[in-house]
Amino acid sequence: MSFTITQDGLSKLVSEWLAQGKRVAGPSRVKHDCILYVPLQLSDQLLLEDFIRPANSLKEFLFPKHERLFGYRINGNGVELFEHEPTKTEQLLIAVRPCDAAALPILDHVFNWDCADEFYNRRRQLTTVVTLACLAHDDACFCTSVGLSPCAERGSDVMLLKLDRGKYEVRCCTEKGRSLMEGRLEPSEQVASNPLGPEKRFDSAEVREFVKNNFASAFWQSEGLTCLGCGSCAYTCPTCHCFDIIDEGNANEGARVRMWDSCQFSTFTQHASGHNPRENQPSRQRQRISHKFDIYPEKFGEILCTGCGNCTRNCPVGIGALSVLTEIGHGEHL
Amino acid sequence: MNEAGQFEPKIVAYVCNWCTYLGADLAGTTRLEYPPNVRIIRLPCTGRIDFNLIVKAFEIGADAVLVSGCHPGDCHYTAGNYHARRRWILFRELLEALGFEMERIHFTWISAAEGRKWQQVVTEITEQTRKLGPYRSLYTNTGNGSLPIPQAAPAVDQPAGSEESLRQRCRQLLADGTVKVVIGYGTRGPVCVTKPEDVGRLVWNNQCSSNLTTYLKRKEARKLGRAAIVVKVCDERALVVLEKESQLDRKDLHVIGMACNGMGQPKCATCDVRVPRFADEVIGEVAPGFNLASAALRGGAALEALLAKPPTERMAYWSREFERCVKCYACRQVCPLCYCERCIVDKNRPTVIDPSPTVKGNFAWHITRAFHLAGRCIGCDECTRACPAGIDLRLLNLSLAKAAEEHFGYRAGINRDVEPLIGTYSLQDKENFIR
Repeated sequence: MSFTITQDGLSKLVSEWLAQGKRVAGPSRVKHDCILYVPLQLSDQLLLEDFIRPANSLKEFLFPKHERLFGYRINGNGVELFEHEPTKTEQLLIAVRPCDAAALPILDHVFNWDCADEFYNRRRQLTTVVTLACLAHDDACFCTSVGLSPCAERGSDVMLLKLDRGKYEVRCCTEKGRSLMEGRLEPSEQVASNPLGPEKRFDSAEVREFVKNNFASAFWQSEGLTCLGCGSCAYTCPTCHCFDIIDEGNANEGARVRMWDSCQFSTFTQHASGHNPRENQPSRQRQRISHKFDIYPEKFGEILCTGCGNCTRNCPVGIGALSVLTEIGHGEHL
Repeated sequence: MNEAGQFEPKIVAYVCNWCTYLGADLAGTTRLEYPPNVRIIRLPCTGRIDFNLIVKAFEIGADAVLVSGCHPGDCHYTAGNYHARRRWILFRELLEALGFEMERIHFTWISAAEGRKWQQVVTEITEQTRKLGPYRSLYTNTGNGSLPIPQAAPAVDQPAGSEESLRQRCRQLLADGTVKVVIGYGTRGPVCVTKPEDVGRLVWNNQCSSNLTTYLKRKEARKLGRAAIVVKVCDERALVVLEKESQLDRKDLHVIGMACNGMGQPKCATCDVRVPRFADEVIGEVAPGFNLASAALRGGAALEALLAKPPTERMAYWSREFERCVKCYACRQVCPLCYCERCIVDKNRPTVIDPSPTVKGNFAWHITRAFHLAGRCIGCDECTRACPAGIDLRLLNLSLAKAAEEHFGYRAGINRDVEPLIGTYSLQDKENFIR
C-alpha cells in the first residue's frame, strides 16, 4: 500500500503555487545542452526525466549568489543604515535530486553556528523540498560513498519515486511535506523499489585519515598541478558555502552585499600585505578536500559533500573531488 | 525630465585634455550657446579612455555618450588617437553584438580651435537623443527568442598510430633530457608527465579538444622545467600570439604538433587548417580528402542569427545568458591568452569592474573579457566549453574576430610575421564612424 501522484498532479501543484505568486524552482532545460535548477515561470518548464542532474546546485535558492544585507547612505557627517528585509515569499523546490536536498541540513550547521543567519534561516523556513529519487547515475556520481543513496530522504519534505506511466510514489518525510501533498494523493497497491546507486568508490573514513596525516604529502603537489584555479567546482557544489562581503555603490549611497567566493581563487587567502598563505594551486586543492572531509566533520560531525559529482562534471580539466578521492581510496598516494 | 515634465537627455562626453576640452572651453569663452545636457569628463587622451567608462556611463543613467579627441596627426602624445580609432573600430562591433543602441554612441575629432564644431556636435547629439528618448533597453530582458544550435563537425577518429608515435617520442624527449615535463592529454584531462616510464598516461583520440597552452601561464607547471607541449593546430595559434606578446620564448619550449581530423566541436566545423605549421615536430597525417571549411563559414549560423536580430533582442539574449553567470571565472582560467598576473576584475583598490554576479556586474565582466581578447582570441572556444552555465561566450569572441578580419584582414595567431592588431595602428584605419 502506498500513495501516488501523477505527472499531471505535479504540474497542477506547480501551476497552483505559481498562480498564488509563490516561487517555484526546479530542473529545466535552459539551452539545448544545459539543464539547470531555475525559477520556473510555467509548469511545463519543469524537466523530470532523462538527465543525470542539473549542472548547478540547489544552494542558490537558499544562499543566493548575490544578496543585499543592508543599505547605507552618507549624509553630512553621519551614515544612515537601512535594514534589508528578508524575503517573505514561500518557495517550492521541486524534482530536486537527493544529493541536493541532503546538502541543506549540512548547510544549516554553518549558517547557525556562531550566529544565526537571518536571511538563510528565513528562506529555509519558507522552503518546501520535493525530491525525486534518481533513476540513473553516471561515472561522476558517488552518493553511496558518502553515506547517501539515490533515494536518501535527508533534507527532503517529500520523496517521489518513479512508478510506471507517469506516476510517482509519494513518501512524505516531514509535516511540511504532508500538508503540501494533502488532498493530492491517491492510494495505490504499487510500491516503488529503491533504485540502485553507483558502486561505492572510496571509504570516507580513510580519506579523512589520509588528509589528517598528510598535509605536506607530495600527493597534493601532483594532484593540483593541472588545476587551473577557477571556481566552477565550488560554485556548482551543493555544500560549498564560502562568501565574500563587499560594499556596492557610489560615494554617497550603496549596499553591503554578500556574494559567493571560492577557495580555489588565488586571491581567496591573499593578505593585504601581499602575502598568501596558500600560495599555489595544490595547496588550494588540498584545502578544498580537507575542508570537506576533515575540517567540517571535526567541527560539525559530518562530511561536507553529498557525492553529487558536479565538481567532476563541471571541471574543465577533469579533476574534481572524485578523482582525488578515489586515488586516495586506492592507495595511489603511497 | 525638465520642469515641464519633458524628457531631457543626459549626455556624457569623454574628451581629451588637449583638443576637445579646449574646443569646448573656446565655445564658452566665445559665448556660443549649446544645450546644457552634456556632462564633460576630461581625460588625458582618447587613447586613455577605457572602454568600461562607456558602459559605466550608460549604467548610471546616460542616454548618450560622446568621445572626442584631437584630429589625426594632432595627438599631443603622438599617436593616442590612432590607437583609440583602431580600438573603437573593434569595440563598436562588440557593443553591437551585445545589443547596445549604437545611435547613442558618438565619436568626434574636435580641435582646440573648433568651438563652433563643439557647439554643433553637442546640439545635434542632444536633439537626436531627445528624439530617441531615454535609454530603457539597457540590460533588459524582454523577449525570449533563441539562437540556432551551433553545428558541430562530426567526431572523426584521429590518425591511426599517432598515439603510439606520440608516446614514443615523449619517452625519448624525457629520457634524453631535452625536456623535463610533457604537458599532454590523459584519459580524464590534461596530464603533466615527468618520467619516461609514465608516457603511457598520454593519449591521443577524438576527446582531446581542450587547449593545453593555457598551462604555459601556470606557475606550478612552469616550475617543472623545460616543457614539451602537445598542440593541435587551433591551439598552436595561441603560441603565435603569446610569442608576439613576449609571453614566451620558443627556445624554452618543445612543441609537438598533432595532425588533427577534428574533435567534433563547433570550432572544428569551421577549421580551415588541420596540421600545425610552427611546431618543432608534427606527428601523424590528416585523413586524405578531409574537407576544410571555407572562411565564409567561420562565424557560423549562430552569430549570423544573433547579428540579424534587432538590438533590443540582442540585449535581451545576453541579459538572459548573463543572468546565469555565477562568476566562477572558468572562462578566464582556461583561456591561454588571459595571462594577467592579477586580473582587472580582482583589483579592488579601487574596484574597476563590478565583481558582483548580477546582470550588471556580469555584463561588465563579459565585456571586459571579450574586449581584452579583441584581435587576440584564437577561437579555441575553451571559455564556452568550460562555462558551467552554458553561456555561448564564443559568439562574443567570434563577433570580434569577424570585425578584425573584415576591417583589418587580420586573424590572430595565423601569421608569425604580422604585428599584433591592438597596440599598433595604421594611418589608413577607417573612420567612417567618426565625425
